[in-house]
Amino acid sequence: MTKNRSTWLLLTPGIILFLILLVAPITNILDESLRLFVPGRIGAAKDAPYTLFNYTELIDKAYFFYLYETFRFGITVSLISLVIGFPIAYSIARQKSTLFRKLAIGFLIGMMFLNTLVRVYAMQLTFGPTGYAKFISGIFDISPNGRGYTELIVMLGLLHYTIPISVLTLIGTIQNINPRLTEAAQILGSSRLKSHLNITVPLCVPGILSAFLICLTLCLSAFVVPMVLGKGKVLFISNLIYARFSEIANYPSGSAVAIIMLVVSLSVIFIISSFVSSRWSTK
Amino acid sequence: MKRSIDNFGTFFSVINILLAFIFLIFPIIVAIIMSFDGRSYLGLFPPPEYSLRWYERFFSDAYYLQGLKTSLIIAIIATVVSTTIGVSAAIGLDRYQGIGKQALESLFLSPLVVPAVVIGFALLMFFAALGIFDGFTRLLGGHLIITFPYTVRTTLAGLVGIRKSLTEAAMNLGATEGQAFWDVTFPLARTGIVAGSVFAFAFSMDDVAVSLFLTSPQTYTLPVAMISMMRTNFDLTIAAAAVILMTFTLCLIIILDWVIGLDKIIGKGVYRS
Repeated sequence: MTKNRSTWLLLTPGIILFLILLVAPITNILDESLRLFVPGRIGAAKDAPYTLFNYTELIDKAYFFYLYETFRFGITVSLISLVIGFPIAYSIARQKSTLFRKLAIGFLIGMMFLNTLVRVYAMQLTFGPTGYAKFISGIFDISPNGRGYTELIVMLGLLHYTIPISVLTLIGTIQNINPRLTEAAQILGSSRLKSHLNITVPLCVPGILSAFLICLTLCLSAFVVPMVLGKGKVLFISNLIYARFSEIANYPSGSAVAIIMLVVSLSVIFIISSFVSSRWSTK
Repeated sequence: MKRSIDNFGTFFSVINILLAFIFLIFPIIVAIIMSFDGRSYLGLFPPPEYSLRWYERFFSDAYYLQGLKTSLIIAIIATVVSTTIGVSAAIGLDRYQGIGKQALESLFLSPLVVPAVVIGFALLMFFAALGIFDGFTRLLGGHLIITFPYTVRTTLAGLVGIRKSLTEAAMNLGATEGQAFWDVTFPLARTGIVAGSVFAFAFSMDDVAVSLFLTSPQTYTLPVAMISMMRTNFDLTIAAAAVILMTFTLCLIIILDWVIGLDKIIGKGVYRS
């Protein structure tokens, strides 16, 4: 009995913090998103009538485009970082030298921890007009001032974050696979490439999916990268919310966008993770 | 034939590693070199001459210093408070055996999956509804909720490894529940707790998306100061600020390695059956 009470005592501060700083604010914007917009004040008037206008307004081609853009970048970037990350994770996981492993993991953790703003500014200096913009755009044969180049920079900015994370996630998965299985396939005459494609990769599918999920959620909620590197040409949903706040001060509409963004990202997480657990739960 | 495909594969994999390494490290090197640029304007890379002018500029600019100070104060308070609450919640969760344990755990970790911009916007509206317009309170609230899940998660991970039999043994030998906790559980969970607070500090210093909504003209964090300068200004004081923030990151990595060892975060070495 006393044990039960002290357990609740330990849990209470966390629950209170969580209710005040997350549940209440989100409930508040849910309510706000259903109110009629009154210009010139933070938040709708207390007695503003309920309306679905803030949502119906968003059923428009222009807004779907933001959602489409966010997903297009998110999925492309996540796939690229998995393709690049998997071989790197494999060679680190199977590395025999402890020193090399430690250095590689330390480097990746450092890259993951790197301040977002530092990362974005470094990308800006390197790939911006004072850096290698001419050189890089020359390789792809696009104009350094055009939309194509801006899209490329936004992708590179996101990749700089997702590559270290996907490698770190995949190292753990690959470590748990018995290397004997691949060796056996090779002894029986399979090529190295084929044995990896037929054995290592299929065994890693749950890990690959969860790395994909992590990368995708990070990209979907990316804010600073499109804001700074996108230069207004590439905008994600998160930037739309900020614009509702900083430019036109339409809070009910901003709330509606925020609720939609929340629902979309939670559904993505739910769909992918329930897919993983339904197929690979009996391990 | 098989051999040549394999050799090509190995070659390709080495090239892939090299390119990825260059891609990750090169922008950082560019930013560090540019922060020592001797020119008085933002010019082409690499700089023809070097000086410390941007660092002098940074340390004499009240705008940046104010931001750095606020950032540090907020990060320290947020880390201490959310570590305390997070550790307490994690221990509670670990002991809790009733229904809904899983739900409670995912509830505590849920701020991790809510996009930061949504948290920032929701808190802005919420504080406005409550009539709180003080920048410091708002920022602290925002930083508490984004750092809290990290402390819960790492402490929980540390506690799971501790066998219940150790605490029970201590209590069989006459220790009270409190003594068993402070003498057995706490020292064993310490690495998880320290790792959690390092994460909390790092994410507090890193945050832009939440802080941008919650700053007031007088109270703003260093990243917010930097992003507003980035849009209006084209000088390299930001590069100096970036290098200063990088040294913070480096210190955190060193602390993390010293406390738990970096390879333990990922799991130890080669496959063991």
